[in-house]
Amino acid sequence: MTGTISHFKQKGDPYILLTSMGLVLSLGMVVFMISLILVKGLGFFWPSDLLEVKLENGESYLGEVWASQTAILNDKPEDEIQLKIGNRELYGLDFIWLKTTNITGESYPDDVTTFERLTYGNFYGFIASVKAGDKTISGEPLYMFHEAQVYHDTAQVLNGKIEEVSDKLNNLIAPYTRLQREISLFKMKQESLNEEDKSKLAGLQSDLEKLQERISEPYERLSAELQKLQQKDRNLSLKVRTAEGEEEEMQLSRIVRFYQPNRLNAAQKSGIYLSKVWEFISAQPRESNTEGGVFPAIFGTVMMVLLMSIAVVPFGVLAALYLNEYAKQGKMIRLIRLSVNNLAGVPSIVFGIFGLGFFIYMVGGTIDQLFYADKLPEPTFGTGGILWASLTLALLTLPVVVVATEEGILAVPRANKEGALALGATRWQMIRKIVLPNAMPGILTGLILAISRGAGEVAPLMITGVVKLAPSLPLDVTFPFLHLDRKFMHLGFQIYDVGFQSPNVEAAKPMVYTTALLLIIIVVVLNLVAIYLRNRLRKKYKTSVF
Amino acid sequence: MNDQEKSYFQKKADRANRIARILISIGGYGVVVSIAGILLFLFYQSIPLFFPASVKKTETVDVNHSPHKILLTGIDQYQEIVYVLDDAGIISFIRLSDQKVIGQDSLPLEPQEHLLVACKGSLEEHIFAVGSTEGKIFTGEIRLQPQYQGSRRIIVPSFQLEGQFGAVNQNDSLPVHIERLLFRQTEEGIKRWSWVDHAGRLFVKIYDPDEDQEYLYNLSDNLGREKVSQLTATYNEDKLICGTLNGELFWFDVSQPDNVFLKDNWKVSQAAISALQFLIGDNALVIGDTDGAVQVWFPVRQADNQMKFLPVHQFASHKAPVILVYASPRNRTFLTIDARGGIHLNYSTTDKTEIEFRDSEYPIQTGSFSPKSNGIILVDSHNRLGSFILSNKYPEITLQTLFGKVWYEGYPKPEFVWQSTGGSDEFESKLSLIPLIFGTIKGTIYAMFFSIPLALLAAIYVSQFAPKWMARTVKPTVEIMAALPSVVIGFLAGLYFSPIVEKHLMTVFLFLIFLPVLFLMSIVFWRAVPEQRRAKVPMGWEIIFIVPVIAVTLALIITVAHSVEMILFDGNIKQWLYNVMGMVYDQRNSMVVGFALGFAVIPIIFTISEDALSNVPDSLTSASMALGASRWQTVRRVVLPAAAGGIFAAVMLGLGRAIGETMIVLMATGNTPIMSMSPFSGFRAMSACIAVEIPEAPVGGTLYRVLFLTALLLFIFTFLINSLSALIGDRLRKKYARF
Repeated sequence: MTGTISHFKQKGDPYILLTSMGLVLSLGMVVFMISLILVKGLGFFWPSDLLEVKLENGESYLGEVWASQTAILNDKPEDEIQLKIGNRELYGLDFIWLKTTNITGESYPDDVTTFERLTYGNFYGFIASVKAGDKTISGEPLYMFHEAQVYHDTAQVLNGKIEEVSDKLNNLIAPYTRLQREISLFKMKQESLNEEDKSKLAGLQSDLEKLQERISEPYERLSAELQKLQQKDRNLSLKVRTAEGEEEEMQLSRIVRFYQPNRLNAAQKSGIYLSKVWEFISAQPRESNTEGGVFPAIFGTVMMVLLMSIAVVPFGVLAALYLNEYAKQGKMIRLIRLSVNNLAGVPSIVFGIFGLGFFIYMVGGTIDQLFYADKLPEPTFGTGGILWASLTLALLTLPVVVVATEEGILAVPRANKEGALALGATRWQMIRKIVLPNAMPGILTGLILAISRGAGEVAPLMITGVVKLAPSLPLDVTFPFLHLDRKFMHLGFQIYDVGFQSPNVEAAKPMVYTTALLLIIIVVVLNLVAIYLRNRLRKKYKTSVF
Repeated sequence: MNDQEKSYFQKKADRANRIARILISIGGYGVVVSIAGILLFLFYQSIPLFFPASVKKTETVDVNHSPHKILLTGIDQYQEIVYVLDDAGIISFIRLSDQKVIGQDSLPLEPQEHLLVACKGSLEEHIFAVGSTEGKIFTGEIRLQPQYQGSRRIIVPSFQLEGQFGAVNQNDSLPVHIERLLFRQTEEGIKRWSWVDHAGRLFVKIYDPDEDQEYLYNLSDNLGREKVSQLTATYNEDKLICGTLNGELFWFDVSQPDNVFLKDNWKVSQAAISALQFLIGDNALVIGDTDGAVQVWFPVRQADNQMKFLPVHQFASHKAPVILVYASPRNRTFLTIDARGGIHLNYSTTDKTEIEFRDSEYPIQTGSFSPKSNGIILVDSHNRLGSFILSNKYPEITLQTLFGKVWYEGYPKPEFVWQSTGGSDEFESKLSLIPLIFGTIKGTIYAMFFSIPLALLAAIYVSQFAPKWMARTVKPTVEIMAALPSVVIGFLAGLYFSPIVEKHLMTVFLFLIFLPVLFLMSIVFWRAVPEQRRAKVPMGWEIIFIVPVIAVTLALIITVAHSVEMILFDGNIKQWLYNVMGMVYDQRNSMVVGFALGFAVIPIIFTISEDALSNVPDSLTSASMALGASRWQTVRRVVLPAAAGGIFAAVMLGLGRAIGETMIVLMATGNTPIMSMSPFSGFRAMSACIAVEIPEAPVGGTLYRVLFLTALLLFIFTFLINSLSALIGDRLRKKYARF
C-alpha cells in the first residue's frame, strides 16, 4: 500500500473528524451552560435538610450544606464543607467553611426549623415557645410547631387587616396633603403674589381648615384602630433558639414561611417548592433584591416590550412595505437596505447613549420645560423612564422587524397581488387586503424576535430608565394610569445588578441563576414560536412557484 | 350603482391610497433618517470638544487712580464688581455695568509710605499681602458676598485688614523696601510670607494659627551669590520656589513650620527668571524668563525615591520678557503676559498655547481670572481695566491627548492613561482613548481566535458531512443559542467560570494542550476499527466516536491535573507565572472574556456560513465527486471557495458583534483600563466604558462629550466593517461563486 498516510490525508477523514469536533464542542458548551442554569436555578427552591455539626472545640453549627471543596491549606489538601448558617443579625455572616477533620458529630435533628424572614434572611433554629397575646405556649416541639403555624396564619390575617386600615387612613389624608402642598407652593412665591392669587390662597386655607374639621374624627378613630391592630400583631411572636443556645424573639408577621425540613417527605417538600416558585413569580423583592420574587421585573419587562412593539411594528412594517411595494429599483432601495444593515450592526450601547442624549436630555428636557416647568429642576420626562427605554429599544429592534416582514411580504404569491391590481384595486387596497393578511406570519415572526431581543438586551436599558428597585409600577390605579415617566425594573438588569452590585453576592447567587433561568425560558419559548411560524411561512413560499 | 356613487367610492379609495403612499414612504425614509440621525447626533455631541478657545472683550473701565499704579485687581464670581488696589493703599470697588465706584477702603499707611509689591494668597479667595516702602507687610481680605433682596442679587464688597508686621531691619536708620513679596494662606489657615528686601535678603515667615506661633527665617545664606528675581509657593503644600537672575531655581521645603530648609536647586534657563507661578493642584510650576520662553516643570519621583523637578511642557514663546503669570482657579489654564503687553492663554496638560492676543498698546500692570474661570480682567499701566469673557470649555481635549501619549502630573513619562475622575476639582482628567481601543481590540481578537475555528468547522460539518436529521435539529438549536441574552453569558463567565478557571488553571491549560493530542488519538481509534465495520457506519456518524474520547480525556485530565501541577510548578502555577513570566493572574481576565465573547459570536458565524455552504449547488459537489475526489477534497477545493463570500460576511458580522458587545465585557473583564498583552490581565472595552461612565458624567461636560466621541468611534468601526464585508463579500462571490 503506497503512501498510506498521504492517501489517508487525501481521503480527509481526519479533517472530517476535526470538523465534527467543532460541532461537538460548540453544542457541548451550549448544553453545559443551559443544564448548569437549570440545575442551579431550579434547585434553589427545594427545601434542603438542615445539618447540625459538632466540632472538636465544642462549637456547634446548624445550617444547610451549601458546597464542598478540597482546599490547599498550608500545602496540604483539606476537605471542607460550606454551611449556610443564616442568622445574619447574630453572626454577621451567612456562610462558614468547616474542615471535615474537625467535625466530631453530624446529625439531622427533626426539630430544627427553617424560618424565611422579611429581613436579615433565613434563620435556622429551634422553637422554644410561642407567645400569643398573654398566653405563652410551650411543650413538645411538634405541638409548638403546629401552634406556631396556627398563630402564623392569624398573624397573616391580621396583617391583611392592618394594610386595609392603613390604606383607608392614607386615602383619608390624601386630599389634605394635596391641599397643603398647593398652599405651600403659593407661600413660596409670597412676595410676588397679585390680588387674585392672594384671594385664591385665602380660599385654599379656609378649605384646609374645613377639611381638617371633617376628617379629624375618622382620622382619630382609624389611627386608634390601627394602633390596636399593630399592638396585637406585635404580641404574636416566637421565642427561637440557635444551635448554640442563644435565644431571640421573632415576630410572627415578619416570617414569610417556616418549616421543619428534616421531618418533611418528598411530597410535602414539593408543596413548599411550588409555593416558592409561585412566590418567585408573583411577589415583590426583599433584602435588596436578593430574596423574594421578581414580579416587578417581570411586569416592567412585559410593559416595556409592549410599548416597544407598539412603536416598532408600525415603523418596521411601513419600511418593509416601502422597500417591496413602492420603492423603485436603484439608489433608494440600496440606500434603505444599507441603512437597515447598518442599524442591525450598531452596538447596543450606542443606541443607549443616543437614547440618553437625544430622547432623554433633548426631547425629554424640552417636554419638561414646556409642560412641567413648575416641577423643575426635578425632571419628569428629562430623566430615564419606560417611554424612552421603549423607544430606544424600538430603534434597536427595527432591523429585525423589517427583515422578517420583508420575508413575509415576499411569500405572498405575485399572482394574487397582480390579480388584485388587474381588477382595479388601488395599490393601498391591494396591500391591505392581499399583502398584509398573507404576510402576517412574517410580521408576527418579526414581532416575536424583537420581543425576545428586548427581553434580553440590558446595556441600552441600563442608561435609559431601568433601576434596581422601583418604588411603583408604571401601571397603577392613580391617574393617568399609565405613567410613561416612571422608571421600571427589568429581568436582564436584575441579573446584572443582583449578581454584581448587591451587598451579599454569595447569598444572592441562587436567585440570579433562577432569574437567568426564567429569562432563558422566556427567550427560548419566544424563539421556538418564531421558528415554527417561519417554517409555516417557508412552506407557503415553496408552494407558490409563480 | 350609478356613476356618482362609483366615483365617490373611487375618490375615497384614491384618497386612502394617497395617504397610504405618503405614510409608507415616510416609513421607508424614516429608516434612513434614523440612522443618519444617530450619526449626526453623536457627531453633534462630540464635535464641541475641538472648538477653539475664545476671548472677547466686554468692558473697558478707566480707573481714576492716576498717578498711582494699580497693584492688585480681582472680580467676583458673577463678574459684576471689580476691585483695584493701588500703591497708595486705596481699594476701590467698581461696578462694571455703569462703571460707578460703589465703595472705597484703604490701608493704614503712613503719609509718605506707599506700596511696592502685592501678592494674592490663594486661587479662590481674595486674600492678599502687600509690602511697603517702610518695610511693613499688610495682610488683608476682600470679600465680595452675594446678597439677595427679594429675588434680586447684589454683591456686597467689604475689606478687612487682617494684620501687619514690620520686615526685619538690620540697620535702624534706613527703612526696608520690600522688593519682592509672596503670600500664601492654606486651607487650614497657615499663613506664609516670603519677601526679598532692597538688600537682597530673603526672609520667610510662617504663622501657624493652631499653635499661635510665628517662625521667621533668613534664608539668604542658602542662595550663595544668586539674586532672587521671583518668588512663588504652592497653595496648600510644602514648596517655596525662588527664581534667580541666573536662571536658577531654589526649592525650599516649608512643610514643617519649625524646620525650613533648602531641598534642591537647579538651572532651568539661560536667561533670568522673570515670572513664576504654581498651577491648581500644586504640582505644575510655570516658569517665564526674560527670553520670553514659557515652560512647565513638575516634580517626578526618581529611582532613588527622591522627587525632582523635570521639564515637561513647552509653550509658544513671547517676544519680550515674561513678566506676569496668572493661574486659573478651576483648571490648568494659565495666562502669560510679557513686558510689551502680549498675552498668551495656555493650557498645561496639552502643551498648547490656545490664544495669543494683545489688549492695549501699553504694558499690562496686573490682572486676574474670574473665580469660575470664565472671565479675565487686565489692568494696563495707564490704569485702564479691560474685562473679557473667556470661553474654553474643553481645554484638556485635543487630538494629541485623545490618541497620543501625554505626560501627566505625577507620572515619570508620557503614557496612555484613562482615568476620568478623581476626588477633587484639582484632579487632572486623563482621557486617552487608546487604552479603550486597545481593550476592545484585545477582546475581539481573543473572541475571534476562539470562535472562528469552532464555528467554521461546525458549519462545514453540518452542511457537508452530517446526516440530514442532525442538520435539521442543530440549526434551530444554534439559532436559539444566538438568542441567548448576553447578560446570562456574561454573568456565568464572571461569577461562575472565572473562579473555577482561577482555581483549576492547570486543568484548563492541560485541556487546551491535550485537545490536539486527543484529536489524533481519536483518529487512531477510528482507524483501529476494521475497514468493514467502518464502511457500515453511515456517513456523518463519525461524531459518535468524538464524544466518548473527549469525555474520557476530560476525566483523565481532571484527575491528573493536581499531580502535574505539583511536579511541574511546585504546586502553584499562578506563582510560577508571576515569578518566571512576570504575569499577574487576574480572576477576570482576557482568556475568560475571550471564551465568553466567542461563545456569543459562534452562533452568528455558524448560521451565516452554514447558509452560504448549503447554497453551493449540488451540481458542483456531485461533479467533483464524480471526477473521483473524496468528500474532503471536494469540500476543500470546491465548496469552500464557492462559499467564500458568505463565510467572509459571516466572520465580519461576528467581528462586528464582538466589537460592540457590552454586557459580557462589562461583567467578565475587570474593567481596568490597562494596556497589557498578557492573556491573564483584564481590560476595559469602549462599550463597557460608555455603559459604566455615562450615568456619572455631568451633562455637557468633557467626560460626557468624550463618551459620545467613543460611541461615534464604535459606530464608525461597525459601519466600516459592514461596508468592508459587503464590498469584499461581493468581490469574493464574483470571483468564486459564478454559478
